[in-house]
Amino acid sequence: MRELTVLCVDADGDERAATCDSLAADGEVAVTTADSVAAAADTLSRAAVDCVVTDYDLPDGTGLDVAARIRETAPDTPCILFTDAPPDRIDTADREGVVVEYLPRDMPEARDALARMVGNLVDQRTQVGYPLPTREDERLAALEQYDRPGMEAAESFDRLTALAREYFDVDVAFVGLIDAHEERFLACAGASWETLTREDSMCTHTILRDDLMVVEDTHDDDRFADNDRLDELGIRAYAGVPLETPRGATIGAFCLTHDEPRGFEADELADLRRFAAEAMDQLELRRQLNECEDARDAADHAGTGTGDDGGDAP
Amino acid sequence: MSLQEPTYTFESLPLRGVETGTNILVTGPALGGVRELTMRMLLRRHSREGTLFIAADVDGRETLADYEALGGDLDFARVGVVDCTENGADDGECNVHAVGSPADLTGAGIEFSSLYERIHANGATRVRTGVYTLSPFVVYAPAKSVFRFVHTLTGRIRTADGLGVCAIDPDAVDDQTLSSIAQAFDGQVELREVDGQRAIRVRGLSDQPEGWQPVDFDAA
Repeated sequence: MRELTVLCVDADGDERAATCDSLAADGEVAVTTADSVAAAADTLSRAAVDCVVTDYDLPDGTGLDVAARIRETAPDTPCILFTDAPPDRIDTADREGVVVEYLPRDMPEARDALARMVGNLVDQRTQVGYPLPTREDERLAALEQYDRPGMEAAESFDRLTALAREYFDVDVAFVGLIDAHEERFLACAGASWETLTREDSMCTHTILRDDLMVVEDTHDDDRFADNDRLDELGIRAYAGVPLETPRGATIGAFCLTHDEPRGFEADELADLRRFAAEAMDQLELRRQLNECEDARDAADHAGTGTGDDGGDAP
Repeated sequence: MSLQEPTYTFESLPLRGVETGTNILVTGPALGGVRELTMRMLLRRHSREGTLFIAADVDGRETLADYEALGGDLDFARVGVVDCTENGADDGECNVHAVGSPADLTGAGIEFSSLYERIHANGATRVRTGVYTLSPFVVYAPAKSVFRFVHTLTGRIRTADGLGVCAIDPDAVDDQTLSSIAQAFDGQVELREVDGQRAIRVRGLSDQPEGWQPVDFDAA
């Protein structure tokens, strides 16, 4: 198991030390600490963390302020209020949507329960703000085979999306890969988007499906009506086809967006499927090429290992 | 009956027992008996089971009154309500904890976690959690927060060997939202009424009756 990094926020030095000790006890958790909302925000701006454990009462605000901060920067990160403050005393005004776990610090063996909870929340991705595909772990494993460095530089995706944008007469056409926490755009014609958090991405819903997803008006769909990020990006209409590998894992989507509500005709959607199939073929060919190169590298390595040629030995 | 059954069982419903940690989405029209169905699935089968309601459509007192009317045993050490209605009020005697609004999912989540811990600490080794219904959350809160809340709820129920029974009125949310929310659950129980006959159908749970099974709440 990889090592987790947990941010522990508590103004009381003794409590903080005790919490850190119990979290770090099994050797698989690295703990960073902060004693205020400002210090926590500073830490979060400098390094990624897997989980946040925070007291409610902090000198310059509350644990929910810390949670709100992480929902802005890395929204999937689980957050636990670990506190003596009873629920009645916790003020959720302006924080109604952050949603955190709550663990009373005064219950018996609270710190053991906390360590278990951290592991569970991270493993099960319990605080993500979007639906998770049923076999998400397999999906991510498949994505790793396709998602290799340099893929963004591949011009074929730029050509495909530029063609699609012209052909369908839409604002933007893109190819996006959906990783654990964000969608990354391999090519994006008509905009310069690079990444989008999964909870803001429409494609995160597309990959749940066997077939394409069309949203004629985002303001008219409960899943997206209150998503301000889409408005900022000028996304009002959407059509996306899942990119499915030959083994049936959905790793991304080929999509069109427009800044005004619009429908898509059946023949347009049939053509969009063709674009998506072409993009998936490109991805598959690149995966096979990578596989061949890896195999050749491994063979070369094995060759040098025997000391036969010694040509590129360091 | 053993006190350590490996499953949650349901009396007088055409449903077989389900494993601990199971989350079930119950769908059906609000006036079609989905409330009775949800309540019946939450009936405690022995004294070491607890029941926790998250009430969003009707307030805490009414929830408890209805539960008792259906045969629910109100042992307030192990039965409680998180009241998310607009006019909900705390009631210490009846273990009702008000949140104040279905839009406050942070508050609902904190009250739920706190109440779950207490019911557990009071000796309930198994806890049935019922949400009646999810629809007001979907209507009043942003979609992202609703997903986060549903994942938090079902995640805790799964890891704590609980049972989750969450009702939603499919007429109150669009089909896409419903199917996205359903992703978080192990299975679904659908309720329908045709020519005055109510029936339920189970999907996604193993070892259950197939097809529509008639249910008769009045006679039960």
